[in-house]
Amino acid sequence: MSAELEKRAIEAVELAKIAGAEDVWATTTQSRDVEFEYRDGALEKVKDTTARGLAVQIYADGRYSSHETTDLNPERLRGFVREAVAITRALEPDEHRRITPEELFRDRPTDELDLIDGSVAELDRDQRIAWCRTLDEVSHGHERVISATAGVYDGMLTSTSASSNGFLGTQESTYCWLGSSVTLRDRGDKRAEDGFYAGGSHIADLPTAASIGKTALERALSRLDSGKGPTVRTTMLVDSRAASSLLDRLLGPANARSVQQGRSFWAALMGAPAFSDRLTIIDDPLIRRGLASRHYDAEGISAKALPIVDKGVAQNIYVDTYYGRKGGMAPTTGSPSNRRVAPGDHSLVELLAEAGTGVYVTSWLGGNADDTTGDFSLGLRGHMIENGKISRPVGEMNVTGNLRDLFMRLELVGNDPYPYATTLAPSLVFTDVDFSGV
Amino acid sequence: MTIKRREFLGHVAAGSAVLSVPGFLAGCGVQQATAVAVKPPANPFMDWFGVDQTTVARVMSELAANGGDAADLYFQHSRSNSLALEDGIVANANSGIQQGVGLRVVIGEQTGYAFTEDLTLPSMLAAARTAAAIASGNRVAVPQAFDPKDMGKLYATSVPWAEVGIDRKLPVMKFVEEKAKSLDPAVDKVSVYWADGDERVMIATLDGKLVTDHRPMTRLTVLVTVKKGDEVQSGYSNIAAREEFGWYTEERLTTMVKEAVDRTLILFDARRPPAGEMPVILASGASGILLHEAIGHGMEADFNRKGTSIYTDMIGKKVAEPFVTIVDQATIPRERGALNYDDEGVEAGRTVLVENGILQSYLHDGISAGQYHVRPTGSGRRQSYRYAPMPRMSCTFMEDGPHTKDEIIAAVDRGIIAETYTNGQVQIGAGDYTFYVKNGWLVEKGKVTAPIKDVNIIGNGPESLKRITMVANDARLDTGGWTCGKNGQRVPVSQGIPTVLVSSMTVGGENVG
Repeated sequence: MSAELEKRAIEAVELAKIAGAEDVWATTTQSRDVEFEYRDGALEKVKDTTARGLAVQIYADGRYSSHETTDLNPERLRGFVREAVAITRALEPDEHRRITPEELFRDRPTDELDLIDGSVAELDRDQRIAWCRTLDEVSHGHERVISATAGVYDGMLTSTSASSNGFLGTQESTYCWLGSSVTLRDRGDKRAEDGFYAGGSHIADLPTAASIGKTALERALSRLDSGKGPTVRTTMLVDSRAASSLLDRLLGPANARSVQQGRSFWAALMGAPAFSDRLTIIDDPLIRRGLASRHYDAEGISAKALPIVDKGVAQNIYVDTYYGRKGGMAPTTGSPSNRRVAPGDHSLVELLAEAGTGVYVTSWLGGNADDTTGDFSLGLRGHMIENGKISRPVGEMNVTGNLRDLFMRLELVGNDPYPYATTLAPSLVFTDVDFSGV
Repeated sequence: MTIKRREFLGHVAAGSAVLSVPGFLAGCGVQQATAVAVKPPANPFMDWFGVDQTTVARVMSELAANGGDAADLYFQHSRSNSLALEDGIVANANSGIQQGVGLRVVIGEQTGYAFTEDLTLPSMLAAARTAAAIASGNRVAVPQAFDPKDMGKLYATSVPWAEVGIDRKLPVMKFVEEKAKSLDPAVDKVSVYWADGDERVMIATLDGKLVTDHRPMTRLTVLVTVKKGDEVQSGYSNIAAREEFGWYTEERLTTMVKEAVDRTLILFDARRPPAGEMPVILASGASGILLHEAIGHGMEADFNRKGTSIYTDMIGKKVAEPFVTIVDQATIPRERGALNYDDEGVEAGRTVLVENGILQSYLHDGISAGQYHVRPTGSGRRQSYRYAPMPRMSCTFMEDGPHTKDEIIAAVDRGIIAETYTNGQVQIGAGDYTFYVKNGWLVEKGKVTAPIKDVNIIGNGPESLKRITMVANDARLDTGGWTCGKNGQRVPVSQGIPTVLVSSMTVGGENVG
């Protein structure tokens, strides 16, 4: 398949050159995605699809634009590329916009990333249904269960890029995710609900369907009889799964575009102690079997580990070639890969004991943050912490503050990084956090 | 219907509503064998997709070969264009074409789905066989002859977006930039983002419907960054509709720019309110986000047929005061959430969710309508041919009530007014929902006293409905470009509301005691 994608990408580069482009970056993709969903003892949905696409970035007369299509009919494709060049010429020139320079993609790493599991392509209907049945059965293991939906999602993605200045590369990966969502009867008309999904590039790395279903049910059960906690300033323990998305929020504006456009609180933090010295984050694209591992990024820039925060000092942000040039920053990579958060040496039980009293957050509900100032306010679900132990479940509460201030008050880091997200975060403990509830 | 579209009310919100929770006509079983007639009337959409009724009928037969209560082919061609103005120049454009056909067969609550982007007969037949594999093969469903429906007229355009050149859009973007800079010398950076698109869909159903729809859409967003000394604040505004180029009048653009600049300037003076439970006044317009999150999603029938919504057993019950009426209506001309037909080929309409305080009807797609033995409400929507449809909202709003805005403010001793929003989310089962307030006001002793910013509000759907104690007579739809996400699918929606008082909600904030 990759040979065909390669041919298509190279042809697109040639087509654009013929149409008058000086430089071209073309990417072709193909993906197979299979989805089996099973609810309350019966198969509910089977989706089996193959998608494809072509994207071209055109550089002509000092101008730039990008274009995508799923219509690969050769004749219409010629028209599409001609139009892409015409659109480019109708724009204003931009001296900062240039094709990725060769030196940024010349030395591409060759580390074995091991992102393809041959057994994914061999999965059949019976195996998927067998997993679904197990998930379904285990997820229903309590009398309060109203409904549980189990899912198996697997597939493969291949992407090939070619450029007019000599880039040629293909990246391929498989994936397989299993999980279920469980709804339980709670007080009155209320339903308690939660779920759990685990996945990766290799089937062999996954927990069993039974243990995934069990975790989903346990998570839902822990939500039963949830009430509102107090309006209070106290310690916050964020579990590893919720910590992963909290860190994504912190790192959201850590990029050249936001900084150059004047909309990032990271602009003022670089090179200085910005957060608690317990915080270290490395963007690592070369983790074997990592969920976001890669040899090169969307611009073709060769992958390498990038320290983002080292013991609380902001070291690097994500810098692509365009906003880097515009903002006077050397390119790093334009987009995140795997983010490793350096773990501490405390287990969750120890963190709870250290916290003593406070709020244990297991998931967020809505909320947002201002990228320019770092001010945030988030809805949460979790439990109160009393006497160093998890106590009653709480919800319908908010936590409010400023992201930078919050991470200044990061006191303890767990040893339990969450493996099923691209940000591999352990549980985190913060002091003096403002909660609103009753 | 008392919704008024007003252009000149400051601080109208915009943004994107995301619900991050990780259907066709009522099935009638085996149908009578009918010859598939090849009807001659020219259908430009058939030409567009390079198919004819014979081909479509052939694929439909393959799709229903193993049986099916319902089946449909969803042909779609989407063309989108966007432009970005940053640092004074329009130097980045993007265009996209998405074309394909989604094939679905439904048996009871079971769905088989496939799509192909290669609209040749062999490829479509292969996709049809994949989708049909869900069925057991012991039934036969015979497609009915196609009966083409008229194109709808809710958002007819004289010039499709594909024919509007960049040379006409650039001056609009420059006008927005210059206007923003002219409004205050502290405005440091202005970015303007343009988006337009034409979507052509053709839906053919097992029971013979043949529906075509041309759906235009446009959105314009302005972001401003303001610097005062060392302090930087940014804000934005946007407007969106199923409209054409002429909609962007100087007046409309000026209103949008003023909103963005005003909202940003006030952030320098705004503070966090005190944390905790307090009365919340929802300003008219964008506060329709309350309805979207607190009740709209919970009334989507897929959750209810599974028993997973907090509203599952509440139809016919009193859920709010008698002056509360909440509607989801797709037939408001040119609204972002408007639709002539839903994505299962059902004529879109008006569904009253709550009438005078009583819970009335869910939003149905074909699957749920079949299960509840009711007519579908035309609420089956999908992001594109790559997805199976499910029940979704369109334009969700509350009708006028008996109070006035001034009466509502005067009735609050200590609380806030929520005015602009960036996003919201809901948990369908527990009913807990949130929305994020970007701008608002503190209310003390019946008077508006100080600006506030950046607080999340959290509540419980049915409890909040009960706590709506006052509804004003100033209902309007928001003009912002909202997008709703559900199960990984994004669709455009609209929302609106009059000024409303909710007697107690939990407001994120500081000054915790």
